[in-house]
Amino acid sequence: MNNTRNQPSARKFWSWFMPVGRQAGSWAFALNRITAIGLTFYLFLHLGVLSLLAQGPGAYDDFLVLTENPFIKLGELAVVAAAILHGLNGIRIILTSFGVGVTRQKQLFYGFMLISVLVILIFTARMY
Amino acid sequence: MSQSTLSSSASGPRPGENTWIWLIKIATGPLLVIVLLLHFIANHYFGSMSSGLMTYEDVIKYFQNPIIPAIEILFLITVVTHSLIGLRGIILDMNPSRNTLKIVTWLLTILGVSSVVYGIWLALTIASKGS
Amino acid sequence: MTEQWNITLRIYRQKENEAPHFDNFKMEVNPDEYVLDAVERAWAFHDRTICFRHACHHSTCGACGMRVNGVEKLTCITLIRDVTKNGATLKVEPLRNFPVVSDLAVDMGPFYRKMEAVGARPVLPVTEAEIENPPAKWDTDDAQYIRLSDCIECGLCISACPVMATTPEYLGPAPLAAAQDNGIKRKPELLSIVDCEDGVWRCHSVFECTAVCPSFVDPARRIMDLRKQVVGARVRKLFGKA
Repeated sequence: MNNTRNQPSARKFWSWFMPVGRQAGSWAFALNRITAIGLTFYLFLHLGVLSLLAQGPGAYDDFLVLTENPFIKLGELAVVAAAILHGLNGIRIILTSFGVGVTRQKQLFYGFMLISVLVILIFTARMY
Repeated sequence: MSQSTLSSSASGPRPGENTWIWLIKIATGPLLVIVLLLHFIANHYFGSMSSGLMTYEDVIKYFQNPIIPAIEILFLITVVTHSLIGLRGIILDMNPSRNTLKIVTWLLTILGVSSVVYGIWLALTIASKGS
Repeated sequence: MTEQWNITLRIYRQKENEAPHFDNFKMEVNPDEYVLDAVERAWAFHDRTICFRHACHHSTCGACGMRVNGVEKLTCITLIRDVTKNGATLKVEPLRNFPVVSDLAVDMGPFYRKMEAVGARPVLPVTEAEIENPPAKWDTDDAQYIRLSDCIECGLCISACPVMATTPEYLGPAPLAAAQDNGIKRKPELLSIVDCEDGVWRCHSVFECTAVCPSFVDPARRIMDLRKQVVGARVRKLFGKA
């Protein structure tokens, strides 16, 4: 049998990010993974930008002007959103990994999503 | 029950991940939640800009207290560790060959160590600018 | 007079050396019958080349697992009424993450080997079973064969798990649940099998396995418990109390 369809394959990683029709945990997984990748990217970008501090006042303060730009602000908001989502989902993983809330993992997820949305709305209001 | 019934076990169960790596990942997680919160508050609420962000002068002054570079370096080590172990976990989920995994682990280790070294240098440089 | 629905049964077809495709069968069905009955009727009256697995028809053998409208189901206990409506389509596909042998039948070999490797306890005569604290005398002769484990090895959890989608080496929910059922204290040789790259650490708390399990195994909860067992065993070893 030389059929390779339907078999596990690394190329199917896109299915992680398409939890359509699946239950809450699949959405939690997709969100956690997307935010992980996004935050990692931001981390190294942030570390790079901070090198401006070593170049003296001019370079860094010039950069700070950029932070007033509404698109940059949107990017910063996305980072805050990603951090909240990833952090709360991570707490859900730790809790369930040690047997706490396993029977209520869906409710945990919905509760954390509610908190995340509220916090993100508060940040949006403060930033704009 | 014999291990030889496992498809991957010509050489036994694959050692790419273990209890300790996972424990470090989930221990750094909650630690990050706390330190990130502190870092965020400090960097966005005590600055002299109207947005609360710190100017260059603010940062230099802030780093004069030795606790600050210490916490920032601790934060850096924690976040880099958590991030890169997590990234490696994502790659593990894609069933890499032994060689690919070795290369990935080495690259991530080098990236992690050099980021921390860079961060320590940067923190000390900033702190020294105040004197 | 039993209710009759007109549905289109859309079945995944895949024979060796052929491209996979779907065949549509317009059928009259009783909605209180099961999806497996519909598949059987399509085979009996429309196309005798449809290949599918079935045996007990009462959720104890685990043979008839398929994807119904994209979701893993045990088709012998899935009412047609619950998954479609009159005039609609009912899509039936093989389980994910297993190589397709023919149409709806998949190769369960690697999965069974993993179950064996963790010592999944099959149905045994009670006198031969390794049970902690067995009763001095079993009550009746009818109790000669007792199911020791809820798992019927149907493979629905393997199909639903997103980690199984990308790495075939992962033990997967059912084998890990079976390992938890055995317990690391009872079978210390399991520690190295589950504390590795393809063991408990590949699980990412998605809980799809528990959501689709038709037999109340709750593999996700068992994997979480197995993690606790593994961490406990490793910490004890570290402090020399192996």
